[in-house]
Amino acid sequence: MTPLNLTTAFYLLFTYTVGLIFAVGVILRIYQYATTPQPVNIPLTPAPLTRGGALARILGEVFFFKSLFKSNKATWLFGYAFHISFFLLIFMHFLRHFIYANPLPWWYNIFVDIGIICGIIMVLSLLFLLLRRVVVERIKFISLFQDYLILILLMLIGLAGLSLNYVLTPAALTVVDNSLDPYMNGLLTFQFTNIPANPLFLIHYTLVMLLVAYIPFSKVMHFIGIFFSPTRVMVDNPVEERYYRPGAKDLSI
Amino acid sequence: MAKPKEKYKVPVLDGNINIPRIVPGASAYEHMIEAQKDDMEALGFPSKLQDGWKEKAIGVFKEILDNNKALRDYMDICVRCGACTDKCQFFLGTSDPNNMPVQRQELMRKVYRYYFTPAGFFKNLSNSQELTEEVLKDWFTYFYQCSECRRCSLYCPYGIDTAEVTMAARQIMDSIGLGQKYATEVIHKVFKTGNNIGIPAPALRNTLDDLEEEIKDETGKDVKIPMDVEGVDVLLVPPSADFFAMPHMESLKGYAKVFHKAGISYTVSSYASEAGNFGMFLGSYKNMKEINKRIWDEARRLKVKRVIVGECGHAWRAAYQYSNTMNGPFDFLDSKYKSPTHICDFTLDLINKGAIRLDKSANDDKVVTFHDSCNVARGSRMGDYRGGQFEIPRQLIKAAANHFVELREGTTRESTFCCGAGGGLLTEEVMNIRIAGSMPRMQTVKEAVDNHKVNFYALICAICKTQFSKIFPTYGFDAEMVGGIHQLVSNAIIL
Ligand code: SF4
Ligand code: SF4
Ligand code: SF4
Repeated sequence: MTPLNLTTAFYLLFTYTVGLIFAVGVILRIYQYATTPQPVNIPLTPAPLTRGGALARILGEVFFFKSLFKSNKATWLFGYAFHISFFLLIFMHFLRHFIYANPLPWWYNIFVDIGIICGIIMVLSLLFLLLRRVVVERIKFISLFQDYLILILLMLIGLAGLSLNYVLTPAALTVVDNSLDPYMNGLLTFQFTNIPANPLFLIHYTLVMLLVAYIPFSKVMHFIGIFFSPTRVMVDNPVEERYYRPGAKDLSI
Repeated sequence: MAKPKEKYKVPVLDGNINIPRIVPGASAYEHMIEAQKDDMEALGFPSKLQDGWKEKAIGVFKEILDNNKALRDYMDICVRCGACTDKCQFFLGTSDPNNMPVQRQELMRKVYRYYFTPAGFFKNLSNSQELTEEVLKDWFTYFYQCSECRRCSLYCPYGIDTAEVTMAARQIMDSIGLGQKYATEVIHKVFKTGNNIGIPAPALRNTLDDLEEEIKDETGKDVKIPMDVEGVDVLLVPPSADFFAMPHMESLKGYAKVFHKAGISYTVSSYASEAGNFGMFLGSYKNMKEINKRIWDEARRLKVKRVIVGECGHAWRAAYQYSNTMNGPFDFLDSKYKSPTHICDFTLDLINKGAIRLDKSANDDKVVTFHDSCNVARGSRMGDYRGGQFEIPRQLIKAAANHFVELREGTTRESTFCCGAGGGLLTEEVMNIRIAGSMPRMQTVKEAVDNHKVNFYALICAICKTQFSKIFPTYGFDAEMVGGIHQLVSNAIIL
């Protein structure tokens, strides 16, 4: 076993810290949303009359952005393209870990190509979303620093990821790939190996870590919050079934 | 107090609803009159701003965050996608960016960031701000330019409901002594007399006598409007405007004729003579519950079997969505019926059962259209199926009149525009906001009048009726066009 270098030591510490921030941050948020009482029943009507219906409604929002589709087709298209490609990419990154074996399966190149296409779609849709913030007067007015920050961060992540495929020679990429797998394994099994030393890779990795650490403090929490949004998840049956929370305070409705 | 009419800014109608370019501060000049001392005290609030208001406000803010999932969630998850920016009638009408729902929320969210998130640390970068007097002034202006209509929530990918934010903001302001005169005055009247208008029982009986006489003159029939009668089947709770205001009274006559013809015993109550619930406009759970309680106390006292609510938007939402939580369960009523029942649901059911018959030709001089009141459309339901709040009033209109046309698609049903005066805005001092806020709706009215010769604008909301009776002439339409659905029923019912 090769001894660990200083870079790796740094990244190990960095990665675990980020993981901890993310896990604790997200769990705390979930706990907070889940335990805050909702004093009254406020589904936005017409709303489903059953639990199952309400679940279908929220899934429609999560998987198809139904309300956004209703309000703005262009935003829907590019927002949807971004989210789909982003999720596919996250999924494929995990998946890659399982299929990257010796010898590579014959379809590995197709797999990588799909990833590259997703990456391009992701960066382009982000570019559109960014342009929208700069060009459309109303959107420009409401945009805050953190809105630009997250878009740019995501774009840089995408670009750095793509650059691995376009800037590096196939041989250099293989070197990265070959050392990435044991490094990742090591994170889970505590049998640490050195992180790939390629600077482009390290940029990509670092940016991802920054993003992950930032998530619990950012608007990205909408991926959790939507499941707790009373106007969307509640069932329209206040007369049929009494909605009563004894702990609810006589405060705001 | 009424301003001369020339001073109003009335847009010229061309039938189009355009998204305006933003004009920062365009409607900053129009704000509410502050609440009076005795009204505030009667509602359990401090009479005016006192030393230490800032700390108090933040304390109340925190308490609401800890006890209201909606606010907690909505403070965090807005992504500023902008989908809601062109959906609020008050932005469309005023061009003021603070009337874009997300920006209205931002007035509160920047204070939230400052006090309750680590972002408060990076003040300038994260747009977080201390609750200064300046900010409070903005709150008092713009949280009273929102009618709590929930249109923005419909279009938001996460369902973020600006009405909830507005209610919380108003609650915070009230709790430090910064109230709105109109709503607090009205609630104080309810506590004193049982209704928003402040009519005492004898005066109410007089009016009912007059109405009975009117019906007698018009139809020759002895149609009674009983008050405070024990042991009848139904407690009818209309908005108090139905007793006094025009065209509301025409609908009250309609209810009376329906009960009379169907032979169902009923009563109105002088103690619960108000379906409306301005506690909702305050965002105050406590006041709302108190007002709502009168209805159910009275139902218990009068030993009725069921409660029926008259034509009123926010009243129906208050009765439908909140009653059972706040003052239920209603096990002392007859479980055969759903309580509360909406009067439209009740009447349509009687028509379908053949208990009453309507002669549609009585309304042949009318081309009717229908305005979905937002509180009914987006905050409640009628009947026992999803969307009953859209179908039942339409079926009732079609049962009472031969000519019915819909308003422009995309502005009806759950996408309806607010009349521009809901949520406690039905007061003179914000007349320009009311005119501007009704503009999108008026564009569709113009289109319906031009293309379909619509001459009757059917409503099921007391505030809508008052607002449009005022706004129609302002925009050059006849106030007589405005009326309730039960006004149509009243014309058509065969006694
Ligand atoms: S639609 Fe919802 S998420 Fe988008 S800006 Fe408006 S409130 Fe925020
Ligand atoms: S609730 Fe209605 S009035 Fe208030 S911000 Fe939303 S759309 Fe505008
Ligand atoms: S008055 Fe009518 S349209 Fe206006 S807020 Fe109330 S229900 Fe909606």
